[in-house]
Amino acid sequence: MSKVTTSCMRYSDRVPAGISEASQKALAPFKVQWSEHPVHGGWPGCLVSGADWPKVFQALKEQANFELLVDHTAVDYPDRLPERFTVLGLVSNIHTQERIMVRTRVAEGGSVPTLTHLWRSADWAERETFDMFGIRFEGHPELTRIYMPQDFDGWPLRRDFPLQGHNRFRD
Amino acid sequence: MSEVTQTKISDIVEASGSSECSILLSTVRAVGNWARKNSIWPLPLGLSCCGIEFMATAMSRYDMARFGMEVARFSPRQADLLLVAGTLTYKMAAVMTRLYDQMAEPKWVISMGACASSGGMYRSYSVVQGIDEFVPVDFYISGCPPRPDSVLNVLMKLQDKIDRDRTYQLSLATPEPGAAADLAEQAVLTGNRHGAPIALATANERFVVPGPQRAMSRGRKPEETL
Repeated sequence: MSKVTTSCMRYSDRVPAGISEASQKALAPFKVQWSEHPVHGGWPGCLVSGADWPKVFQALKEQANFELLVDHTAVDYPDRLPERFTVLGLVSNIHTQERIMVRTRVAEGGSVPTLTHLWRSADWAERETFDMFGIRFEGHPELTRIYMPQDFDGWPLRRDFPLQGHNRFRD
Repeated sequence: MSEVTQTKISDIVEASGSSECSILLSTVRAVGNWARKNSIWPLPLGLSCCGIEFMATAMSRYDMARFGMEVARFSPRQADLLLVAGTLTYKMAAVMTRLYDQMAEPKWVISMGACASSGGMYRSYSVVQGIDEFVPVDFYISGCPPRPDSVLNVLMKLQDKIDRDRTYQLSLATPEPGAAADLAEQAVLTGNRHGAPIALATANERFVVPGPQRAMSRGRKPEETL
């Protein structure tokens, strides 16, 4: 049984089809790498640096009308060191139906700036990502576990988390 | 001192003014267990699809009201039976134990379905692998989810269990050697719920119930006691 432990995503500077001019203009100040193939349901994706993470979203929201934060989560690639986690946010322009999946990479124990000042809905989404992966979000108003008990030990959606046998009371 | 010890049955019949006065003699244990087993008020902790099946059990087609347990209570202080129906997560386990602690004795617990009994198909970090990690369980119901028939079956088995309950069992305290004569007659009501004896009447209180059980334990025939 093979495990997906590294990302198969390939990035280049070539802007994929489906990215509007307004989006390209909003992203122009940043170093952006685009994924070669539209993946995740055909949504074009891009990779930005962790420092640019909130600024990219702010530019997309304020200059290109991406008003809706559709999803916010992370993926764990434990063999891709040191930056084993990919944090991703999916934003949508509800007027044109355009969607962009923005990604950044972060190492274990690292942190990503929060998006809560842009979308209130990022609050619980980032808490969930913290709860499941242990990724910290700088500037989050209350970064505590949202699903698991507060005294829970471990980060369940990391790939090295045991599938079973973790329970405290019975194997 | 209990009035019962002072009264003969013939006096009661005479006082009633009728020779057809009906008198029913029983034991505290029989009457108490009878009352308890026919008024089980469940606290349904419906956590997933088993909760739907429990609702079907309570409604008219299966109608568990036939057995005296129609009053589903959503306050633990008014409930006798904690019926855990569904998947219990560790986060919810704290709620369940708190509900159980708030219930007054006597109380019983039924683990309904595969999830509550063993975690079911959720062999996962978030699901309790059987609620008996947290509360003592009287009965487990198999099934995913169990049919209402199974729930009714177990509820009737619980009634049988309550009927066998020895909490109200009457037993005589062993008198100390050389104790006063009246102390030798004193009886103590004791029970042994959950294995630990509990006293329902203190040793200083004379609580003598006429009946064959006491009479035989004192080496007399029942008629002599009355």
